[in-house]
Amino acid sequence: MNRRGRRAWRSVFTLYLPVTPFVLFALFPLYFMFVTSLKKNSELYDPTSIPFLIRRGVTFGHYQLLSGDTLFWSWFLNSLLVSLGATIVSVVLGILAAYPLARLRFPGGDSFGVAIFVTYLVPPSLLFLPLTTVVNRLGLSDSLWSLVVTYPTFLVPFCTWLLMGYFRTVPREIEECAMLDGCGRVQTMLRILLPVAVPGVICAALFAFTLSWNEFLYALVFVSPAELKTMTVGVFSELIRGDIYYWGGLMAGACIGSLPIVIAYVFFLDYYVSGLTAGAVK
Amino acid sequence: MTSEPRRLSRRHFIGTAAAGVGAAVALDRAPAVAQTRELTFLTVASFVPETDKELKRQFEEWGAKNKVKVRLDIIAHLQLQTKKAAEVQARSGHDLTALGPGLGDADLYFDYLADLNDVAGDVAPKNGGWLNPDDYLIRGKWKLLPWWQPPFPMAVRTDLLEQIGEKNPDTWEDWLRVGRKGKAIGHPFGTALGHSGDANVTLLSILWSYGGSYVSKDGKTITINSKETRAAMEFVKRLYSEAMDPEVVAWDDASNNRCLNAGKCIAIHNPISAYESAKKDKVVIPGSQKEIADFIDHVHTPKGPAGRKATTGFWCVGIWNFSKNVDLAKDFLRYHFQPDNQNRWVEAGHGFNMPFLTSLTKHSVYKSDRQYRFIPEVAKVTVPPSWPGPTTAASQQVWDLYIIPDMFAQYATGKMTVDQAIAWGEKEMQEIYAGRRRKP
Repeated sequence: MNRRGRRAWRSVFTLYLPVTPFVLFALFPLYFMFVTSLKKNSELYDPTSIPFLIRRGVTFGHYQLLSGDTLFWSWFLNSLLVSLGATIVSVVLGILAAYPLARLRFPGGDSFGVAIFVTYLVPPSLLFLPLTTVVNRLGLSDSLWSLVVTYPTFLVPFCTWLLMGYFRTVPREIEECAMLDGCGRVQTMLRILLPVAVPGVICAALFAFTLSWNEFLYALVFVSPAELKTMTVGVFSELIRGDIYYWGGLMAGACIGSLPIVIAYVFFLDYYVSGLTAGAVK
Repeated sequence: MTSEPRRLSRRHFIGTAAAGVGAAVALDRAPAVAQTRELTFLTVASFVPETDKELKRQFEEWGAKNKVKVRLDIIAHLQLQTKKAAEVQARSGHDLTALGPGLGDADLYFDYLADLNDVAGDVAPKNGGWLNPDDYLIRGKWKLLPWWQPPFPMAVRTDLLEQIGEKNPDTWEDWLRVGRKGKAIGHPFGTALGHSGDANVTLLSILWSYGGSYVSKDGKTITINSKETRAAMEFVKRLYSEAMDPEVVAWDDASNNRCLNAGKCIAIHNPISAYESAKKDKVVIPGSQKEIADFIDHVHTPKGPAGRKATTGFWCVGIWNFSKNVDLAKDFLRYHFQPDNQNRWVEAGHGFNMPFLTSLTKHSVYKSDRQYRFIPEVAKVTVPPSWPGPTTAASQQVWDLYIIPDMFAQYATGKMTVDQAIAWGEKEMQEIYAGRRRKP
């Protein structure tokens, strides 16, 4: 066996085998959702069937049920619009908040940072009641804007905290060089720091998008009309009827619902895992 | 001779328009002719989807007749508590709202619900009267209209019953025997002992059937610590250990349906939803091509040494008093509760949604399928969950916190002795009732 062959064998034992259990663990929910969404009801109900395999043929009936008998694609679009809107707003505000907290020294700066973190810890199950009043006063109830406005209440602290940590890893020297060359504070942030911090910003955006996409409570409370529901609430409302759960439809909804997140992560994976400030300082 | 229409001069038009806009701005609303009245209704997704379609049809029909824009919002029943809490907090939201499960919502939200004495009075005579009107009064007032209930018969697999040589089981002891024999051939009895509405219903039914109760008629004295409760708990312990699988302590409302339709359970205490979904989905008995719905029958809720009693989710409808359309909402309720509309609505629900109105319990749908024959009988012995005590916020809390299922499960699973479990339940209930007691 030549050197290349030996190296390949070694990587099987040192890399692939150790990683396999983790990959299986991570992919199992997706696999299970997908398999369940393609099973016929008769097989879903059968306790003697093997839950992880399809033995009695594939059906697309659950997907047809979602598309034909519910407003699933409207809910999907609503989720997308709300998540994109809330993410953009939150990342922009997060950058504006994180930069001074990470770079500038001013009285109470540290306490302010901690306060933002503590804000993030307040659970939405406590906040939704007072927020209902706020949303109402703003005249936003029963509109998607109510979600675009309220999601940043938990996204901005998260983005700020994440970006603060990230900005601190960017060497101060590259900004100082820019300032010596005549850049102002804002220019430095926009032209020097942000291009270097793109992976951090993308990371924050990805997390913000994921949190918005999965959000349930505010979407339930602030929006009632069926055509304005987000996917998380719509699927739950329509496919759980008392003690009847439409398992196939629920799993089909979960499968389709996970696609944008999967695509987003796959698309930005390189940014996400790339060396964060590699090459910034030589 | 026809008169020529008077021409509107430009100056007159501008003057009128300016006055109209000025008035609208001053009043902060559009002039009456331009206002669109809108009535909104929040309800829960029916267990039989056709019911929602019929309700929507009636709502839209009423809206068209009265030139009112209507909006029916349907959510899963598990979401209703959150939604109601938010609407009350903001004093804004829907005009009409579903309340439940249980009548206690009306006590919890007493100060936010419009009085419905007039509507309840109008509706009753046209429908043969309310079934048990005293049960539905909250602090002596109609704060809600009881809307529908899914009575709890016993759903049983007839082929398995025949296989074990049993006929017409009727008492809880009969069903224990059936469950024991069924479990021996791999088909246990199934009733939830976990945190689910079904567990509340079945265990309260057993408690009452053995002569027990948890609160007295005065609505203050906790009566759970009794020899009758002990007898009921001994029965449930035997039922759990001899006739059921341990998984029942983790069951939710859907689990017993699944157990029956999967061909596993010999019998479950449940409304007809399992049968309806088995029929709709053409579910077959595992290992055969036979449709399981053909082998399910529904019989009377079992009786115990002290008689036959049952409860269920009492689904109700109310109007928020912060609604700007209270009168319109009342008008719709009168329309919806007209005999014709109720008839159609019950028909659409295949009898699953039984109204609390005497004439509707004799609806022809209950004779349309042999499966439904016992539903009116079960309704006759169905009482509110707080029976014999009145419905209060405290009784609703006992239901919502699953005190009864927890008490039974702790003894059945051997975590506590019977005395410890009852003492635990009694303490919990006393604290809830003391906490909710209003100052004079």
